[in-house]
Amino acid sequence: MSKGHDRLKVLTTVGEVFAVAIEFERTARDFYVALAPKVSKSIRYLVEELAEEEQNHFDLFTAMAARADMAGVLAAEIQRPASDRKFSDCVHLPDLGEHPDDQAVLQYALMREHAAMEQYRALADETPAGSLRDLFAYLANEETKHKNELEAVYYDTVHSGGV
Amino acid sequence: MPITTVLSPFRAWKFLFQNPVTVRDPLTERPGAPRYRGFHQNDAEKCVGCGTCETICQNGAIDMIDVGLAPKDGDSGLRPRIDYGRCCWCALCVDVCMTGSLSMSNAYTWTDANADAFRFTPGVDKKPWDNDQLGYRRPEGHALHGKDRVEMAELEPEARIGTFDEIVAGYDVARARLEADRCVECGLCVATCPAHMAIPQYIKAVRDGDYERGLALLYETNPFSQVCGRVCTHKCETACAAGHEGDPIAIRWLKRHITDQVPHKDYVRIVGKPKKAAKGEAKTIAVVGAGPAGLTAAYDLARQGHKVVVYEVRKHPGGMPRYGIPEYRLPYDILDADIDVIRAMGVEIKCETRVGSDITMDELKAKNDAVILAIGLHLGRSTRIPGSDHADVRKAVDLLRQVTDEDPVDVPKSLVVIGGGNVAMDIARTMARLQMKAYGEVAVTVTALEDKAHFLADPDEIRECGEEGIDIVDARGPQEVVIDADGRVEGLRTWRVQSIFDAQGRFAPSYDESDERIHPGDMVIEAIGQAAGVDMLGEGLTEALEWNRGRIQVDADGRTSESWLWAIGDCVKGPDVVHAVADGHRAAKSILAAFEGKGDEA
Repeated sequence: MSKGHDRLKVLTTVGEVFAVAIEFERTARDFYVALAPKVSKSIRYLVEELAEEEQNHFDLFTAMAARADMAGVLAAEIQRPASDRKFSDCVHLPDLGEHPDDQAVLQYALMREHAAMEQYRALADETPAGSLRDLFAYLANEETKHKNELEAVYYDTVHSGGV
Repeated sequence: MPITTVLSPFRAWKFLFQNPVTVRDPLTERPGAPRYRGFHQNDAEKCVGCGTCETICQNGAIDMIDVGLAPKDGDSGLRPRIDYGRCCWCALCVDVCMTGSLSMSNAYTWTDANADAFRFTPGVDKKPWDNDQLGYRRPEGHALHGKDRVEMAELEPEARIGTFDEIVAGYDVARARLEADRCVECGLCVATCPAHMAIPQYIKAVRDGDYERGLALLYETNPFSQVCGRVCTHKCETACAAGHEGDPIAIRWLKRHITDQVPHKDYVRIVGKPKKAAKGEAKTIAVVGAGPAGLTAAYDLARQGHKVVVYEVRKHPGGMPRYGIPEYRLPYDILDADIDVIRAMGVEIKCETRVGSDITMDELKAKNDAVILAIGLHLGRSTRIPGSDHADVRKAVDLLRQVTDEDPVDVPKSLVVIGGGNVAMDIARTMARLQMKAYGEVAVTVTALEDKAHFLADPDEIRECGEEGIDIVDARGPQEVVIDADGRVEGLRTWRVQSIFDAQGRFAPSYDESDERIHPGDMVIEAIGQAAGVDMLGEGLTEALEWNRGRIQVDADGRTSESWLWAIGDCVKGPDVVHAVADGHRAAKSILAAFEGKGDEA
């Protein structure tokens, strides 16, 4: 079976969700790490902060997946949410051009955070009450917090005090 | 000498064993009249430490003292201490109190063995009469100073919409003196003004009719006094003590009045000639950008006898006051008059010279003892919503520049502006005037994310927009520039903004997608924010400099991590003329200190 077919399956396992999530964070981290030297030093802080944040998420998800008490949880089958396609697509890296500016970087980061937030929220909604739902709700909350922080940075940067 | 004279002093000893004549609390049974002027009360929270009570006290009984409160805008942190060895209970202090915090209880008995106890700070030193309801209060509605601001004549909306003539007429002498009379010279405004202008002193000069003294005072701290007299953000007026129970003093208009009263030909004589540097001690300084920050620094340095050359990419000097503020708020000849004074100090301004291509930063560094970067925020930001790359989607700063340089502007019959700040109002009103000239009617819609109460534009600007027939639609989130089948801009699609900030006050917009509107317009103008064009620094310098969240990192005096380079004004601090002026002074002082070896070598 092709990977595409797997993605279109209605049911997935928590383990698969986690694998995509870990890949999602890894590709983002690597993307920002590779981008940092290409952007002007004036906005490099932004890309470095994004890389650091993605690394934190990567570490968090990897540690969760490796926990002994997660084995049962990871094997559990859950409904694949409608947002899954969009979430998986984010693993593919965009072309922001040779020298993207701060607004382009922020818009890309916001899109990613939004996709992740929607994915985990949908998973939490479709999972019966219990530790698994709490886990997805926690992940959704993490992504929401990061998205909110990015939105604040976006306003300060792009609206520059609303002059 | 008779013997009684010798013995008399010893007679006093017999009183040693008698009860004292004075009693500890003799009149408790006789309360003061309801409006008796007894011991002072002060609402320390309401008091702003303006010191007007101290000034008016005829007995010198009041001193403003530090009671441990931190000073802040509009509050000196000082509070009045009253000496009852001097006070005559005349209540002038209560009558003049600018906030109504000071009053007098009807308590009048206070015995204490310690004479120093009668010098106390009401409201801070707790006393039994602190909460007494009876006593003397300034009668409601009465004040020793005028509460209402003297009106300023303005062009009526119908008269101004078809022209770029200045809207505000300026005070005549009689009106200016009336307004100046309301000032109690407390000086709270001075601390709030970024340039720390001598506000009470120049207002006194208006009262005295001594305009030359007033002008000299203005230019001691602000070479853009004419500009600030018209377009300053006048935060000083928010600190004004008169604003607590009436209108704040029209500080900005009084500043303008002084500059209006003195003929321009006399300015340089009054301001005074620059010093001549001793032989071999004159340094050379390059300034990049001829806006208020750069030219203020240039003015200060030139006045000390140094050679300053300012490089400006535009056709004319002035920066944002020329290229961002329309003429109906700031006529160009007024700006030019300020710049003429700066030039008269020996400052050379080279216009249409692009640093980065015509001359590089490396060259400036090599040829000068110090370099100042004052490049402003001249790049307009875009929403980057779908359709925003259309040729008829323009940035406000670019259009304002075209109008100033009298480059041809395609005036659309209808247009939509995105933004709720002053730049949005400026471009909306500018385009409205051009529409009126071209078509005889105005069709401008301003949309902004914020609701009107949270617009960043000056409230006067918003009001005047409405008066000029501009439609302001608040709390709308832009989603798409609508383009018709022929490729022409048709309007702006927006959603209603439900909330713009979260509970922590951070930007987190949420929209009601069911409330969608198309605002018709042949052009969309974005006025959402601005950025500094730092490409001119070149890659090497950009890498060498330290940055702070997208802006060049500077110390308190504007010095960058490169010891030869200072960065000041909007590009590091955000947009505001008077802050830019203050920045220019700080940088010049820092450079002079560096030249004298007091700071790090430049």
